[in-house]
Amino acid sequence: MKTVNQLEQPDQFYDELANAHKDLDLPASADLNARLVLILANQIGSQKVLSECIALALCVPESSV
Amino acid sequence: MIEENVSGYKLPRFEYRKPADFDKTVQRYPVVIVGGGLAGLTLAADLSTRGIAFVLLDEDDTVGVKGASSRGIVYAQKSLEIFDRLGIYEKIAQKGVAWSVGKSLVGQNDIIYEFDAAKSSQSLQPPFLNIQQFYIEWFLVERINELKTGEIRWKSRVIDVEAAQTHSRIKVETPDGTYWLEAEWLVDCCGLASGVREKLGLETFPEKGTERWCISDIRFKKELPLERWTWVESPVNDGRAVWQHPMADGVWRIDFQMKIDSDVEYISRPDVCEERVRKLLGHNEPFELVWVGPWASRTHLLDNFKYRRVLFAGDSAHVFPPLGARGGNSGIQDADNLGWKLALVLKGQAQETLLNTYSQERRPAAIHNMDLATRSVRFLSPQGEGQRILRNAVIALAKKCDFAQAMVNTGRLSTAFSYQDSDLSIGTGESIPNLALELKNGQKRKLVDYATDSQIMLISRSREVLQPLQNKAIFKILIIGQQEPDDILDVDEKIADALGIRDGSIVILRPDLHVLARFKEFGHAQINELMHRINYVEREE
Repeated sequence: MKTVNQLEQPDQFYDELANAHKDLDLPASADLNARLVLILANQIGSQKVLSECIALALCVPESSV
Repeated sequence: MIEENVSGYKLPRFEYRKPADFDKTVQRYPVVIVGGGLAGLTLAADLSTRGIAFVLLDEDDTVGVKGASSRGIVYAQKSLEIFDRLGIYEKIAQKGVAWSVGKSLVGQNDIIYEFDAAKSSQSLQPPFLNIQQFYIEWFLVERINELKTGEIRWKSRVIDVEAAQTHSRIKVETPDGTYWLEAEWLVDCCGLASGVREKLGLETFPEKGTERWCISDIRFKKELPLERWTWVESPVNDGRAVWQHPMADGVWRIDFQMKIDSDVEYISRPDVCEERVRKLLGHNEPFELVWVGPWASRTHLLDNFKYRRVLFAGDSAHVFPPLGARGGNSGIQDADNLGWKLALVLKGQAQETLLNTYSQERRPAAIHNMDLATRSVRFLSPQGEGQRILRNAVIALAKKCDFAQAMVNTGRLSTAFSYQDSDLSIGTGESIPNLALELKNGQKRKLVDYATDSQIMLISRSREVLQPLQNKAIFKILIIGQQEPDDILDVDEKIADALGIRDGSIVILRPDLHVLARFKEFGHAQINELMHRINYVEREE
């Protein structure tokens, strides 16, 4: 798993993702995120990397926001 | 044997005979099997083909529980290959419905995942065959009675068991009263609520889950595809899952997933079930309810499948959720694993320690089955809103994308387990399919034909390399070549490929057709290693 930046255009990616959520209520946003997670997971493919990604997502505390 | 009509089926009733044991001192038998279900009867038939004497004790005098319940209906390829070796596959094939195509659906008929297991199959048997469990048990009983190396004692209920280091003592209740008998090896195939396990104080602490299903066997004339259809979300079942499987005699198994913790009495009331079936088949379609019953989730796993000289097979040792047809199939494959090992030990060709590998191989297989069945349950019964959102995402994407289809999990059907971590295996320990073989002399053979005695098979393209072992009774030597009449022809190298020996290796196959080892070099060191692995007992031969 890589944690150093890989994104070619981080600001543009964030902007597109935020735009996708713009007119959605919370359940529709959750559905969108779930679909996106699955699509992105398939781009990664490696089970080892995916397991590490899940572990990282779980260990970042929500209160740090 | 008398046949009786139960729910439109003709079912056998077998005759109880007073055992001669009543008039003798306590008799000791090489093997006593308790329980005449799939595991017990498969083991009895297996020992019969290997010429080993046994007594099988069964509580009632027929096959199946309460007759018409179809119970396990999907038999996997490995199980069918075992039945072919035991000589009952032809009967099963004539009666049952072979299939290979499975479809998962949502809504009325939206297919979101589809597979055809025939595409990758090299076996003489189909990927799957559906048939009512009692037919399999019936054919096994007939085969056991035909081979006559052991006996089935009907109406014989085990009421006490004592396990010593060298043998077991078993107290049996019959219509004529009770008697004791002894077993060098006792095999418990009594199911989840095994009285043998209980008497020996071997607790398994079964877990009750909240999953509820209504299992129904329905007879109707409407023509539906002979495939496995599973709805993840069906409108005829309030958005819950539905299973549709064909089986013998024009009967279909339709399973309905119920709300968690539903009242099992209510969900399986015939009128309640009929209403659901009407929605599925259409209101004008006549049908007949052959059998209906509830299913509530229960699982358990025994710590060790061997205790002193008692072995545990089938549901007595392990019960998992039914998704993927792993219950009956794993009981059959337990028996397949155990039969030849018992035979070699009882014939004095292998040390008793060989039987330690039974638990060492079949317990990981049970854990694997448990894990896979549990994953299917998780897909079909999302726990909490987060999991439901995730599953909805899979279903939504599966309509468009191949990768999401791969995640639709309505039960991954059982395949043979590889005994990778066994003391017996040098390598992966996988199962080799029942290959069709042609000999130099024109005769046709099946790979299972070479596995009916308890010899370990050495297969090579070089006769010379196997020469040092040709006089040892424990081995059977098979040559792929064109010299001798019984050489196995392999012009296009498909056989060598399937056996994994195209590179000139030799392969060593166990009588259950699992790979024991492959060797590139086969000299003294490898032979010693092999003898050690199989717990070989050196004798004058």
